[in-house]
Amino acid sequence: MGGKSMIVSVANNIISPLGMTTAENYAAVKAGKSELRRYEGHWDLPEPFVASLMQRDKVEQAFAALADNERYTFFEKMIILSAANALYQTHIDPTSDKVLFILSTTKGNVFLLDKRETGFPKERVLLGVAARQMTEFFHNPNTPIVVSNACISGVCAQIEAMRNLEGGRFDYVVTVGCDVQSAFIVSGFQSFKALSPEPCKPFDANRCGLNLGDAAATIIYTRKEKADENEWVACRGAIRNDANHISGPSRVGEGSYRALRYAIGAIDPDKIAFINTHGTATMYNDEMESVAIERAGLATVPVNGLKGYYGHTMGAAGILETILSMYAIDEHNILATKGFETLGVTHPLMLSNQNQTTDKRMFIKLLSGFGGCNAALLFAKGGAPC
Amino acid sequence: MDELIYTLKQQIIEALNLEDMKPEDIDENASLFGEGLGLDSIDALELIVLMEKNYGIKLQDPSQGKEIFKSVAVMADFIQKNRTK
Amino acid sequence: MLNHKVIITPNEVILDGKTLDHNEQGGALLTELYRTYVGDYPKFFKMDTLSKLGLVASELLLQAEGEPRFEAREDRAVVFFNRSASLQADTAYQATIQEPENFFPSPAAFVYTLPNIVTGEIAIRNKYYGETSFIVLPENDPKIMAQQLQLAFLDTMTQSILGGWLDCTDENHFEAHLFLIDKQQFDTIESSLL
Repeated sequence: MGGKSMIVSVANNIISPLGMTTAENYAAVKAGKSELRRYEGHWDLPEPFVASLMQRDKVEQAFAALADNERYTFFEKMIILSAANALYQTHIDPTSDKVLFILSTTKGNVFLLDKRETGFPKERVLLGVAARQMTEFFHNPNTPIVVSNACISGVCAQIEAMRNLEGGRFDYVVTVGCDVQSAFIVSGFQSFKALSPEPCKPFDANRCGLNLGDAAATIIYTRKEKADENEWVACRGAIRNDANHISGPSRVGEGSYRALRYAIGAIDPDKIAFINTHGTATMYNDEMESVAIERAGLATVPVNGLKGYYGHTMGAAGILETILSMYAIDEHNILATKGFETLGVTHPLMLSNQNQTTDKRMFIKLLSGFGGCNAALLFAKGGAPC
Repeated sequence: MDELIYTLKQQIIEALNLEDMKPEDIDENASLFGEGLGLDSIDALELIVLMEKNYGIKLQDPSQGKEIFKSVAVMADFIQKNRTK
Repeated sequence: MLNHKVIITPNEVILDGKTLDHNEQGGALLTELYRTYVGDYPKFFKMDTLSKLGLVASELLLQAEGEPRFEAREDRAVVFFNRSASLQADTAYQATIQEPENFFPSPAAFVYTLPNIVTGEIAIRNKYYGETSFIVLPENDPKIMAQQLQLAFLDTMTQSILGGWLDCTDENHFEAHLFLIDKQQFDTIESSLL
């Protein structure tokens, strides 16, 4: 994208079973913690599953300080809490028409489709209506934009934020990603035989599927002439399709390869601290990513994946994993790929289950999802040209 | 057995939305995937649901499907031996 | 000016301003359009209503465009907007898990419970390796849609977009307002939509 201005991150938040702030989450991940656990009979589902789920009363306690718990669904509380936490770190006036809210989610309030759910108007199942709960809470006058591109939504929402800032119509974009688990989502992934019966093992030879997780994450971007030394810049991102299959990733990593190639541009791969992959721990996804990274000429760049801490947080994943990657580089750290032991993909990748050090200041966030979609986004710290 | 094969063909056509196909159009010995009916991975998962729903057979390991879903005849044979309803 | 434009509602089909003849209405109209204008893509029958609508609408547009088909390209994006996301598919999947005594979650139904699947279906059909995106809005807002489409051209790979409004609330209620637009027409998108 153009070299005129830079898209700079000004605040962020993560709400997950590992904590209600980014600092709590980063400390937990650095210490190797996870809240992935086995649930039996949860939501009356006949089969057990392993997931990272929020303690809902903890969210309600925090939300009570903001508004009446009864008026909002659990999903809406998560997005409002996360956005509020990020906004309170800044002096941004959310009631300004120069502030845009973008929501990344796949299933929003889908639990409302269950006939037994009667507590909220059915209209709230619509993603735009759910997003409106958030913008109305903050008295923001703009129409919220919901990005719903399956598992890559979190990176797409950030690309959308960058474009809206470059377009000049807005000064700040509050980018919120969230999904909360439900019988709908878990049973669907079970029918796909995609869930691991134990905590997932990204890129491992014995990986046997993914885990699902609840989370909300927010990153606020603005446009600046020049970033300060310690500020994070979202440089260049792309969304590309495999044009192959609606649920199975491309064997040749076509879309991910093309997205990576666009995102890296003319940057020397040696400047990249790591690629933070999708790394869901399904057989096909991780294999596909290894192919795409190799094809893009990035096989020498360290690689990690964070699903072993959180499971797959769907609409939140792209934002949550971006924020943790920023915090890691701030501490000269490459976070460990929890759950990984023995390399189980065709192309050798630079993976580790231990935290590593780095002095590099750039990373790439990579995601792929149903519908054959893939996204890659390059980030750089400070004013380095990218 | 012939009756089971015919019923199974009907159930496959319905479950996989094979519009414009009749049971007579499916060769019970032809391969369901690849060259034959050209089914894909989602169809394979849907066949697992079909077996559970109609015949009470639960496949825990989806890779078992590779053998069982070779053809309608192989599938019918497996159902005959393992059905619980 | 938009290159080509198609409108499909349960009882009307308009391609580049010209009304197309048809006999059926609602969901049956989509099947009729498939049989009349496509015919050789049986995967159509496996799709949810949103994907069926997107597929036949995109076929009409691309046939009107008249360029060689099915050649791999990365310079065309598919960017859709709607209000209902994948509501019809969501409702269909929910029906497979609603009753505990008849609980058989359907993978073929579940895979369509994401609005962007239709963008993938069109990419697969046409070998489009470019951007595919789905944006959900609280209501149909041509101004916001035009703004976001203009911004999609900031990806320097994207030279044209197959995009627009694609909404479906159930098998018989839907609305497609799709068009093809080139980067050169960047400035005129908004006035064309309003």
